[in-house]
Amino acid sequence: MNDLVDFWLEHLPAMLDGLLVSVQVTGVSLAIGVPLGLMLALAVQSRSKPMRGIAIVVVEVGRGAPALILLQFTYFGLPNAGLSLDSFASAVIALAWCTGAYTSEIIRAGLEAVPHGQKEAAEAIGLNHLDALRYVILPQALRVSVPALLGFSILMLQASSLCFAIALPELVSQAYLIGSTTFRYMPILVLAGLLYAAICIPATIAVSALERKLGAHA
Amino acid sequence: MSLNSSSIPQADVASRPPLLRLDAIGKTFGTHVVLEDIDLSLAAGEVVAIIGPSGSGKSTLLRCINQLEPPTTGRVTIGDTTIEAGHTPTRRELMALRRNIGMVFQSFNLFPHLTVLRNVSLAQERVMGRTREQADAVSMQLLARVGLADKAQQFPSRCSGGQQQRIAIARALALDPQIMLFDEPTSALDPELGLEVLAVMRELAEGGMTMIVVTHEMRFAENVSDRVIIMADGRIVEQGPSGTVMRNPQTERAQRFLHAVKDR
Ligand SMILES: Nc1ncnc2c1ncn2[C@@H]1O[C@H](COP(=O)(O)OP(=O)(O)OP(=O)(O)O)[C@@H](O)[C@H]1O
Ligand SMILES: [Mg+2]
Repeated sequence: MNDLVDFWLEHLPAMLDGLLVSVQVTGVSLAIGVPLGLMLALAVQSRSKPMRGIAIVVVEVGRGAPALILLQFTYFGLPNAGLSLDSFASAVIALAWCTGAYTSEIIRAGLEAVPHGQKEAAEAIGLNHLDALRYVILPQALRVSVPALLGFSILMLQASSLCFAIALPELVSQAYLIGSTTFRYMPILVLAGLLYAAICIPATIAVSALERKLGAHA
Repeated sequence: MSLNSSSIPQADVASRPPLLRLDAIGKTFGTHVVLEDIDLSLAAGEVVAIIGPSGSGKSTLLRCINQLEPPTTGRVTIGDTTIEAGHTPTRRELMALRRNIGMVFQSFNLFPHLTVLRNVSLAQERVMGRTREQADAVSMQLLARVGLADKAQQFPSRCSGGQQQRIAIARALALDPQIMLFDEPTSALDPELGLEVLAVMRELAEGGMTMIVVTHEMRFAENVSDRVIIMADGRIVEQGPSGTVMRNPQTERAQRFLHAVKDR
């Protein structure tokens, strides 16, 4: 037992470095992906046919293709098209795409939950389309979407472990690296799992608490 | 409750140039004809009540006036803005129209995420370009006018239905409209709460506001409005001075409707 704790303590700094990369790649992907999701949600409802078409393709590919395929496509595939990216940039593109695709559906559901009378009232007091969206529709839609968006963010942190496939030094990559030099894969993977859990379990509890709070005020 | 009609005598009203004119307004949803050939002209200060059976197109007519529903045929003129069916109005025309027309809905449609004050101030800032301080000052006056200054910092959900509808009236008045449209403003309310809304509307009417009120409140139609319009099947079947139409309708369709209403 002591031996295990010593092993963990010895490799904890490297593992925390990996966790930091996991959190960074997730954070940047969400920061790009959620606004992208919002734009896609609006574009899917757009009156312009080409706009709708493009949005639907982006969403369907993002949701249809496994995240691992998107990652390998941006890392190994794009260089063939003359665009070489480091693993962090590739990961961000792939995960932001995936995030945009899934969150566009979450946000669209939020938009649809806003009663039609709200849009009419906004129009009747003379607000233009953009102002109606910004001041009346989106605040209400996002309030509905927030718990699902946060839940998705937690899943995304876990999905970032797929980035080990493109040699991004995130938590799972670090664990494999340590495993391959020490030949103690099991204990180091358990530590990786514990570190994910240390973030995800409290976050999940906080999200359900928030959900209850928002629900109570609806 | 006094039964005098609104302060503006009928002859006086009729001699003024119209503030709002509808020419041959028609509305079709698919193949379903909802409005047919509606002409209507409203003088400044005039209060018109529209009554008629459910489904006769009353709400649709109001919504065509401020273009929430674009009419299929005809023309809406208010001031020097004319919007012709078939031509998508420009942003500027639409804005001019909506600034001049306030609308109050049956289900209030207040913005639940904004305080009462913000509900009333929002359009003043975004549409009229007032600063927040200016807008809030005007909003406080309007809220005082509908008797709800003390609710300014509350959220709408903390207010009763009657209070919410009075806030909605303040919100509609905030753009200083020339005309107010009311679509069954009391139908979603308990009778007692409806009374406080009707009192605010009566005050507005007596203050000279031009109003079109779709209502099931026959006493309001008879006592507060100058003119009553009875609609059935998408058409105006009878109109005239409120006393005459309500007590002595000429057409068979109007008689049938008023009988049905009065018999309950
Ligand atoms: N968006 C729409 N699409 C299709 N049909 C509609 C639409 N809006 C209204 N209608 C139809 O138009 C007709 C008139 O509706 P409207 O709501 O104007 O009647 P109303 O006189 O206001 O009735 P009520 O007294 O019940 O409010 C109805 O038959 C209704 O089903
Ligand atoms: Mg109606």
